[in-house]
Amino acid sequence: MSFSPSLQELLDALRCLPGVGPKSAQRMALHLLEKDREGAARLVTALATAAERVGLCTRCRMLTEQELCPVCAATRRDDTLLCVVESPADLVAVEESGGYRGRYFVLLGRLSPLDGIGPAELGVDLLREQLGAGHVKELVLATSATVEGEATAAYLGSLATEFGVAASRIAHGVPMGGELEYVDSSTLFRAIESRTAVESV
Amino acid sequence: MKAERVELEAAYILHARPYRETSQLLEVIGRQHGRQGLIARGARGPKARWRALLQPFRPLHLSWSGRGTLYTLRNAEPAAPSAPLQGRRLLSAYYLNELLLRFTTRGEPRPELFAHYTAALAGLADADNAEVPLRRFELALLTESGYGLDADRDALHGAPIDPEQRYAYQPERGAMPVERDGDEQVVLTGASLQAIAAGSFHGADDLRLAKRLLRQLLDHHLGHRPLQTRRVFAEMRPPS
Repeated sequence: MSFSPSLQELLDALRCLPGVGPKSAQRMALHLLEKDREGAARLVTALATAAERVGLCTRCRMLTEQELCPVCAATRRDDTLLCVVESPADLVAVEESGGYRGRYFVLLGRLSPLDGIGPAELGVDLLREQLGAGHVKELVLATSATVEGEATAAYLGSLATEFGVAASRIAHGVPMGGELEYVDSSTLFRAIESRTAVESV
Repeated sequence: MKAERVELEAAYILHARPYRETSQLLEVIGRQHGRQGLIARGARGPKARWRALLQPFRPLHLSWSGRGTLYTLRNAEPAAPSAPLQGRRLLSAYYLNELLLRFTTRGEPRPELFAHYTAALAGLADADNAEVPLRRFELALLTESGYGLDADRDALHGAPIDPEQRYAYQPERGAMPVERDGDEQVVLTGASLQAIAAGSFHGADDLRLAKRLLRQLLDHHLGHRPLQTRRVFAEMRPPS
């Protein structure tokens, strides 16, 4: 089926979205043009505005349209804790867990030596500045539980040591609601290794 | 082209990169089949299969099938727990992977290299000095690639190497007897050359010499494209 040029261009453009193949692109485009022109107009404005205005927080590299993101701008947060995450999505996940009240730093990637992704690509200069400023007492390394995530954590851990800042790594273990039988062996190994004391009743 | 099917081959993942929405493109080295490119479908995302398994440096048994140059991963099973690599040693292991990727091509069986790689990972995990397994692997890689050190005869007259004599080792040519140290070349005694070629390093001086010599040879054969891992490691050193 051949579409008119503008429609075809729209279909191609929509496919830059994750999870959108030719079929879903077609469904989205036809829906907007057929049933929801208002929604289409709103999408156009929102996308143009966001693409133009949203940049990176000058302190933590989170996406924001202000100079500081809401977390960095917030006054009632613990300045002594700095949590390092790989992506904005990870920051949102930690934030939604509700258990953390410190600040963040977003790497926008992780160490991947074979792809040439090193400290420069991860904004480590900016992180150094913050560690150097002296208010951070603990660097919480919340990079992913992959070998690259571990390598990243190990490197940032040594960076923290260089600045006399304590570094901690988030725990790996059995997920909530998880039965041991179904937990993979390497996770279980980690869970046993980093077991914690039980409070007596 | 004939369809191929490989069952539970001992293998390591050398490199993984995201492919399409939920898949990964793996570069692996298998004991019998050498380096292969595999697509691991559905290996990313919240419900990913084999998520904990498909990591570098973990001994695996992999099954794959397909035709052409890129196969489909069918099954992955753990062969042993991951080598406990941390910190600098973990980074060194990435260096090994990059060397293997640069010195091998897909589909070429390299059982000896696989064995050297396995030994090097074990060495990185256990050895008191992590430099030793690294140098041994570099040496083995050069030898297996046909660029091994010639520590028997000099390159000038073909005379037997004299342990007391000083030599400048030149890539492609070999040990050239010299009277004094040159500016850029690595100069070493016949005895040191023989020790390095035999993979026996005694003390920090031998290791430093071996590092310089092997680096010079590796660089020569790597050509103009520098190693990414080396650049990244250099960036990671604290500014002095």
